[in-house]
Amino acid sequence: MTSSTVLRSRYPRAYATVTKLAGTPNRFIDSVGQVAWFTVTAIGQIPHALRYYRRATLRLIAEIGMGTGAMAVAGGTIAIVGFVTLSGGSLIAIQGYASLGNIGVEAFTGFVAALVNVRVVAPLVSGHALAATVGAGATAELGAMRISEEIDALEVMGIKSISYLVSTRILAGMVVIVPLYAMSLLLSFLAAQLTTTVFYGQSTGTYDHYFRTFLRADDVFWSFVVAILIALFVMINHCYFGYNASGGPVGVGEAVGVSMRASLVAVAMLVLLSGLALYGTNPNFNLTV
Amino acid sequence: MTAAAGVSGYVQDKLSAPLTAVGGFFRMCVLTAKATTKLPFEWREFVIQAWFQFRVTFLPTIAVAIPDTVLIIFTINILLVEFGAADVSGAGAALAAVTQLGPIVTVLVVAGAGSTAICADLGARTIREEIDALEVLGIDPIHRLVLPRVVASTFVAVLLNGAVITIGLVGGFIFGIYGQNISAGAYVSTLTLVTGLPEVVISIIKALTFGLIAGLVGCYRGLTVSGGAKGLGTAVNETLVLSVVALFAVNVVLTTIGVRFGTGN
Repeated sequence: MTSSTVLRSRYPRAYATVTKLAGTPNRFIDSVGQVAWFTVTAIGQIPHALRYYRRATLRLIAEIGMGTGAMAVAGGTIAIVGFVTLSGGSLIAIQGYASLGNIGVEAFTGFVAALVNVRVVAPLVSGHALAATVGAGATAELGAMRISEEIDALEVMGIKSISYLVSTRILAGMVVIVPLYAMSLLLSFLAAQLTTTVFYGQSTGTYDHYFRTFLRADDVFWSFVVAILIALFVMINHCYFGYNASGGPVGVGEAVGVSMRASLVAVAMLVLLSGLALYGTNPNFNLTV
Repeated sequence: MTAAAGVSGYVQDKLSAPLTAVGGFFRMCVLTAKATTKLPFEWREFVIQAWFQFRVTFLPTIAVAIPDTVLIIFTINILLVEFGAADVSGAGAALAAVTQLGPIVTVLVVAGAGSTAICADLGARTIREEIDALEVLGIDPIHRLVLPRVVASTFVAVLLNGAVITIGLVGGFIFGIYGQNISAGAYVSTLTLVTGLPEVVISIIKALTFGLIAGLVGCYRGLTVSGGAKGLGTAVNETLVLSVVALFAVNVVLTTIGVRFGTGN
């Protein structure tokens, strides 16, 4: 009998703890590999999904855009994302007007609305709203399918389950985000403008002048790119947790929570990194023209 | 009823589900308020739930607060440098952290992590018919389960708000001074320029309200789960959507009230 066997049988609990701790990096690398493999497969099978599952993709686009059963209570994805960005926009105006007023430059509210909305708040807020509505919905749906062994049934029937369930959802998410983000950006502009000019009584000319001067086409373009990237991240993340749910009905509920936590962090990191990359070395606007 | 009178039947169909949900939620809120007067308060459950909520939400809070801080401080500092007012960077950082960053990150985390965890936990119990069993045993689930969770959620939201504000102020210091060449003395001395006690009190009130609403929504959807795995997943999803929408709306209202009482007016 070697000494390690003796030690193992003498201190079973300590042995279990040590192996568990020692296995942590291993498990971490394992799970990273699984996520990477899932991502590569899901994205790689997008052409396959486009070719064979066109109708499923169309159905998902309609479902994601309008929202199904659960979301219909609050008026569909569009209404929810729109409402949340509307609050975000008016928040900027309320706080911006009051704070800029403190140093006597409330005329710049239009400038803050144009700059901060496009660069920071709109991608951040609509990203989180997208994760909460579309993403968490996908996790719940896929998780329920996994638990009731529908995904296994798909595989047995010879259907590529990742292509049919995940690639189609990623495609649908990327298609839906463009009009959705356009709408939420417009709504956040509208909210900021209405709050400043109607509720606080700033002259529309002043607001429009600063707003139009500092609303740059490049910023809006990059903002859209960031939003599409966020949609890609959110869809892959939520589909991954739904597709790999386990542990009965409770597991599905937990998977929705865990995926949402991951999305919160991912969206914040994505907006930060893209913000630093785009505006880090050169802020790209000139206050004194 | 067989297709009761076209239009009114249609309206009834469309409105009955949301109205039932709103009514049920209101009923639960009233019952929870009533349960606060009933002694003894379930301290044990409260402590366990508070610890559970804290464990679930703390890491996401830090992981969301740091990038958001850097992003917002970075944008503010760019603006201030363009204005030629880089020496009031501390004032901008304090205002952003206390009035907006703290409450908004708290909203996202409390809705995204806290209320979903409550809903998943209570929903699992509802599906396993543990709640029905409690009622049969003569134990009021609102007093025994809902009240401690709601109080714990409120309590944890306030703590998280404090943590986010601290991260915001310290992060603003580190990022501004080492990243954007702001003077350290100027940062610290202008911290309280436009941010005083009223802002901090409003920030705490906001966090209290968010925690309360998120806890109530999570508990309500958790207790009304039906239909197995799919039902539980949908319930958690709905909790998320409803609390995000409600909390953003409440944040706008509270901010509007808050700026009236702000320092410097």
